[in-house]
Amino acid sequence: MSKKTIDYLVLLSGDEAIAWGAFEAGVRFASAYPGTPSTEILEAIVECPGVHAQWSPNEKVALEVGLGASLAGARTLVSMKHVGLNVASDPLVTASYVGVRGGLVIVTADDPGMFSSQNEQDNRHYAQLAKIPMLEPSDSQEAKDFTAAAFELSEQFDTPVLLRITTRVAHSNTVVELGNRVEYEPSGFVCEPAKTVMVPGHARRRHELVEIRMRELATYAESCSLNRMEMSDLRIGVITSGVSYYYVKEARPRASVLKLGLTYPLPERLIREFAASVEKLYVVEELDPFLESQVRAMGLALAHEPAPPKNGELTPDLVASFLGARRRRTRPPASGLPPRPPVLCPGCGHRALLTALKRLKVFVSGDIGCYTLGVQPPLRTMDTCICMGASIGVAHGVEKATGRSDNIVGVIGDSTFVHSGITPLIDVVYNKGSTTVIILDNETVAMTGHQEHPATGKTANGKTTNRLSLEDVCRGVGVRDVSVVDPYEVKKTQKLIAEALERQEPSVIIARRRCVLLDRGRIRRSYQVEADRCVGCGQCLSHGCPAIVDRTPKGARKKRVEIVGELCAGCGVCAELCPAGAITEVSKSG
Amino acid sequence: MGRATNISIAGVGGQGIILAGDIISSAALVMGYDIKKNEVHGMAQRGGAVVSEIRFGKRIYSPLIPDGEVDILVALELLEALRHAHRMKPDGILIANELRLAPAVRPPGAPEYPVNIVDRLRSFTKNAVIIPAARLAEKAGNARAANTVLIGALSRHIDIPKQAWKNALEACLRPSLLEVNFTAFELGRRRGKRRNRS
Repeated sequence: MSKKTIDYLVLLSGDEAIAWGAFEAGVRFASAYPGTPSTEILEAIVECPGVHAQWSPNEKVALEVGLGASLAGARTLVSMKHVGLNVASDPLVTASYVGVRGGLVIVTADDPGMFSSQNEQDNRHYAQLAKIPMLEPSDSQEAKDFTAAAFELSEQFDTPVLLRITTRVAHSNTVVELGNRVEYEPSGFVCEPAKTVMVPGHARRRHELVEIRMRELATYAESCSLNRMEMSDLRIGVITSGVSYYYVKEARPRASVLKLGLTYPLPERLIREFAASVEKLYVVEELDPFLESQVRAMGLALAHEPAPPKNGELTPDLVASFLGARRRRTRPPASGLPPRPPVLCPGCGHRALLTALKRLKVFVSGDIGCYTLGVQPPLRTMDTCICMGASIGVAHGVEKATGRSDNIVGVIGDSTFVHSGITPLIDVVYNKGSTTVIILDNETVAMTGHQEHPATGKTANGKTTNRLSLEDVCRGVGVRDVSVVDPYEVKKTQKLIAEALERQEPSVIIARRRCVLLDRGRIRRSYQVEADRCVGCGQCLSHGCPAIVDRTPKGARKKRVEIVGELCAGCGVCAELCPAGAITEVSKSG
Repeated sequence: MGRATNISIAGVGGQGIILAGDIISSAALVMGYDIKKNEVHGMAQRGGAVVSEIRFGKRIYSPLIPDGEVDILVALELLEALRHAHRMKPDGILIANELRLAPAVRPPGAPEYPVNIVDRLRSFTKNAVIIPAARLAEKAGNARAANTVLIGALSRHIDIPKQAWKNALEACLRPSLLEVNFTAFELGRRRGKRRNRS
C-alpha cells in the first residue's frame, strides 16, 4: 500500500485503513476468508511486520482461531464479507459470552446493492443478536481510528467488537494520516473455565454478565467520542451513520446531524437531546430501518413515514430527495444501450467444463465463484446458486427427492469445496447417494482477486506450505470414484461425466485447469478461423468466448465468425468442437 | 479551489481504469486536496463495465458523484462513454478513447451496439475530445498505455502542474513502464484541447 504514499498523508481504501488501524493498535493475529468487499483487509495486513496473518478455510474457522488468539492475549482482527458472518455466527454468539483477553475485532463488510454478492443482508442485526458493540466508520480515516478504538473497547468491556463497513467505505479511497505502531505483548492463556468453558452452568452466569455489559456500554455510548452532534440549522436534524453521513452532508450541508459511530448499543439520552433541539427529525440509513426502529421505539416522532426494509444502496441523490434538498436538473441516461455484464475470460477452464455440461443437458447445481457466470447466455448451465458449498447438498437433495442421479451434477470451485463442500460430500457418501460432483480446480480463489487457499500449497504471504490434496480428501471421506481431467479436453471430459452419471455410487471429477489470468504472460498460441473450411454452423459461438466474434452480415443464414487474436488465450476448446476442422492454431510469437 | 472537481472514468474491465484512478488521485494528493475515490471491484472486472470516480477539492463529502455533477468524463470505450454521458454537467468535458468494443455477450433481445455513437455523445456535451488513444499509446511503445494517453489529455483541463502528474506516474507504475507512460502522457497532453471531428 506504499505506492500511493505522499509524505505523511496517504490515500487508503477503507479496507487498507482498517489494516493500518489494526497494525498501529498492535494487532498480533489476523485471520480471514476472502470475500468482496473485505478481501483487501487481510491482503494489506499480510505486509505488516510483527503480525501473523492467515487465510482460514472458512469464516467460522477464521473466527475460532481468532478467538483462540484473543484468549491467549493477542490483539486479533478477523475479517469477512457479510455472508461470511452467517458462517461464523455460531462461534460469534458464544464468543460474546466468553469475551476476550486481547482485543478481538470482527469486521463485517456488507454489500448493499450486491456488487458481488448473493444477498444484501444488513449485518447490523448481528450486533443486536450477539449482544456485542458495533462501530460504523464513514471513511478511511475513521476506518483506521475506529479500528484502534474497537480494540480499546473490546478490552475495556471484555467483549468482541463488530466493525461494520459497507462496499462504499471498503472500496472508497480517502485521505488518511498515519501513526506509529504501539506494541501489546500477549499475556498468554490463563486457565479460567468459568469464563471460557461454556457449559450451561458457566454460560448462565456469563449471560448475566453480558446483559450488565450491554447496559454499561449503553451508558458509555452517551459520552463516547465516536458519537457526535453537529448542530447547525435547527430546522432539520438527521440521525445517521456510516457512508450515509456523507450523503447527508452532500445533500444538506447545513442540516444538524447526530453522527453515530457506535451504532450498538445506542445512546438514548443523546438521541433524545438531539431530537428535542431540532424541528424535524430524520433517520438516514442504508438497507433495514435498524436505527429508525430503535428511535421510534423511544417514542420519538420522525418527519418521515416508517421506512420498510430497503433494497439497494443509497446514493447522494436518493438522500437529497429524501431530505427534500434542491438539486440540479438531471438528464435521463442514453436509451437503448446494450448491457455489458461481466463474463468468463477467454481461455477460462470453467467455460470449457460448462460447455461439456451444456452438451450433456443435465441439471447443474451451482455454487459461489466465477463459474456462476455460466448462468448467462449463451452457456446457461447453472440451475441453482445459494451459498458457499450448497451445490453438493442441493444436488443430493434433488437426487433423493426424484430418485434419479443420472441427470444432475453439483459444480463447485476448489476453494469453495474446502470452505464448505466437504461436509455435504460426506452426507452423499453416508446417505448412499450417487451424486456426481465436479470440482472446478483453478488453483486459486479467482473471483476475489487470486488469493491462496489450503489446496494451492501456499500461505497468505506466498510461502510454501502443506498442500491439501483434493483427491485424497474425496477418497478419505469414502468416494471411490475420483478422477482428474483437464477441462480443455472437452470431449474427454464430457465422456467422463456421462460415465459418472450412470454409476450407482458417488463420483467426484476434479476438472483441473489453472486460472488463465495467472498465466496471462505465458500465452504462446492463438487460433484462427479458416474461412474456406468454415461451414457457418455457429458451434463455436455457443459457449460465449469473448475472443470469438459473430461477424454474420444481416440476413445471412450462414454464420461468419472471427477470432480476435489479442483476446484469444489459446485454449483450443473452439477448435476441438468445430465439426469442420476450420479452426486452426497460430503461434503468438513476438 | 472552492468547489469539488468531479472526474468519472468509465470503461471495460481490464482496460486499466482502476490504475488511471490511482494516478489521477495521486496527482491531486500532491496538491494537498481532500480526495475521495471510489470504484467497484470483484466480479465486474471480468470483462464487465467498470467505473471509477474521483472527487477532489478543499473538502469532499460523498465518495459518489451526484447525478449530473461530473465535470470530466474520461472513457476508455465509446459505449461506456455513452452509458455515463448523462452524469456530466451540461458543460462537462468528455475525453474518450476512439474505440468501439461490443460487449462480449449479447443476451437475446438486447440492443445492438449503437450506431452514430459519436453524434449521440456530442448531444450530451459540446466539449468532446475523442482521441485514438490506443494508436498513440502504441506509438509511445505499448498499446496498453491508452489510459495514460487519456490522462495526458485530461491534464490539460485540470489545474495541476505537470510535475505533479509525473510524480503520480512514478508513484503508481513499475519503473520499467515509466518511459513508455511518460511518452504516452505527453502524446495525450498534446491532443487534450483539440476538439476534433472524428
